[in-house]
Amino acid sequence: MTRARGLLWIAVASLRADRRGALVNAAAACVGAAALVFFLALGLGISRAAHRMFPADARLVDVVPGTVALGGVLGGGRLDDETAARLAALPGAAAVWPRLSLRVPVAAPGPPRGLDYNWPPGMSLQIPVVGVAPELVKGDVGPGVAFEDPGPGSDRPIPVLLSRRLLEIYNKTIAPAWGVRRLPAGLSIVGLELPVKVGYSIVPQKTEDRVYVARLKLVGLSDRVPIYLLAMPLATVRRLHAEYGKDDQGYTEVTILARQPEDVPALTAAVRRMGLSVDEGERATAERVGTVVLVTTGALVFLAAVMCALAALAIAQSLSASVRGRTKEIAVLQALGAAPSDVRRIVLAEGAIIGLAGGIVGAALAFGAALLSDRAAIALLPDFPFRPDTFFAFPAWLPALGLVVPALAAVLGALAPAATAARVDPARTLS
Amino acid sequence: MIRLRAVTKVFRDADREVPILRGVDLDVAAGELVAIVGPSGSGKSTLLYVAGALDRDFGGEATIAGVPLAGLSAEGRAVLRNRAVGFVFQSFNLLQGLSAIENVMLPGLLRRDGAEPRPAIRARAERALADVGLAEKARQPPARLSGGERQRVAIARALFAEPKVLLADEPTGNLDAVTGEGIIRQFGELARAGLTVLVVTHEERVSRAASRVLHLADGRIRP
Repeated sequence: MTRARGLLWIAVASLRADRRGALVNAAAACVGAAALVFFLALGLGISRAAHRMFPADARLVDVVPGTVALGGVLGGGRLDDETAARLAALPGAAAVWPRLSLRVPVAAPGPPRGLDYNWPPGMSLQIPVVGVAPELVKGDVGPGVAFEDPGPGSDRPIPVLLSRRLLEIYNKTIAPAWGVRRLPAGLSIVGLELPVKVGYSIVPQKTEDRVYVARLKLVGLSDRVPIYLLAMPLATVRRLHAEYGKDDQGYTEVTILARQPEDVPALTAAVRRMGLSVDEGERATAERVGTVVLVTTGALVFLAAVMCALAALAIAQSLSASVRGRTKEIAVLQALGAAPSDVRRIVLAEGAIIGLAGGIVGAALAFGAALLSDRAAIALLPDFPFRPDTFFAFPAWLPALGLVVPALAAVLGALAPAATAARVDPARTLS
Repeated sequence: MIRLRAVTKVFRDADREVPILRGVDLDVAAGELVAIVGPSGSGKSTLLYVAGALDRDFGGEATIAGVPLAGLSAEGRAVLRNRAVGFVFQSFNLLQGLSAIENVMLPGLLRRDGAEPRPAIRARAERALADVGLAEKARQPPARLSGGERQRVAIARALFAEPKVLLADEPTGNLDAVTGEGIIRQFGELARAGLTVLVVTHEERVSRAASRVLHLADGRIRP
């Protein structure tokens, strides 16, 4: 038997001898651990849900034409290939991806193919479209499909991408309100085809002279697609503009990918110096939500930390009383071969055992409380868009933290009693 | 086995110093049962704790089981107590939260070098209890044992580590006459088996069994 295990055995025996005190101390540690794990899991869960709702990429900068353009004087205002090249050359820019809004109207006269859909008779749905560079969304294209222009005269469908958030909002609000069928979530809807009329607008004056039928094929879902738009390959939008004689008005937007999030402020400043503007709507919302979640979680975690500190104080007080009450036992242990350092370790081990036991029970209680809270939320809250399946996140490190923090707090609380125990003079105590 | 030279000990009160031991010389050889007698407050227990390496704040020289205490660290003294010294106290000093056998196991659990597996420690503790006739009381807490049984558990605990020196502080003070006689007899047997036994007592029956009786008065030993 190793010596450490021997000392641990003595610590356990000491706690066993004072079960009531040990239980009270463990309960204090348990409350701290439960609060810490519960609030952190809640904060992480809400943060994850907020990220789904506002999936702003910290490295993306969306550049739009300047509101006051001086054009040739400063070279700003219009977003064309030359400007895109200058943006790509900015320090900190890893890539630039132009976006171009389709100015040829596209409308869907009916539901997607293969879906038993309650489409209102005679309704046409106008579809706003933006062309995006395939590189911008290459990670979001489903398996076995491609996001590339089918070319003029092709009978292949035009690939499109949809915002994940639009699908969520449609399923949770539009579909129930209209009494129409919900679309399946995730990549299972990839491959869905929607017949459309290219050149047709629900506003008669805007319908082009030439209208033809085409098919749109959903090839993926992307957070990089604006929420109420469909994304087509940039080449398709350019081709349609050429087919319908639309003049070149430059890109609608250029997205810059920063090398790292820290480069974004400098990039934003450089973009503004070029006479262009930065669309910070999505990013600012995401940052505001993130800040609110962070501050709230921080406050709750601080509260839990205060509870752990109070538990440490309670353990310190209780163990001090316990040490004062068993100075003779400590002296006997010294007579039997315990050094002052051993006595200190025994008392510290008592604190650690109390903290660990409280932490295990506290983490389990937090997990149970989270399950109950989720069940209550599902039962009581309406099914709103982006409502998460769980409001809690339990990464692997969280239960470990729930054990380590109360154990550390308890050991800290045991420091002073351990020092007192180590100072017991056996000769004087046993005399 | 025990060698004390010019040992002095002073208790410090708030504003004065009270000398307890005033230059004690003592030699106890292996196999001896030596009784130290003297009035209450004469420093008998203090002398015992100096000889047992429990008291470090004394003057003079002390050598126990061949180990000089001067300059020995707290850990070094702990090792010496664990391996070479066994203590028996008047009030038994068993840990109330532990069973009889767990009390006996303590020196094994505190061993720094040559630590044994717990089953081996437990087996040896069972044998030590059997040697003092308490095999069947191994799982009993001290509160359920009689005074004599508690003292025998304390002796088993003191002998567990097979010490070279056994130090007993009024070992029969809380026992009835018959039980006390049994304990004294056991000390005699241990001494005859080669153990060095130093007993502090004011009871004559203990003195009668000792090979030597030393009187401690005014902080000095007189034969």
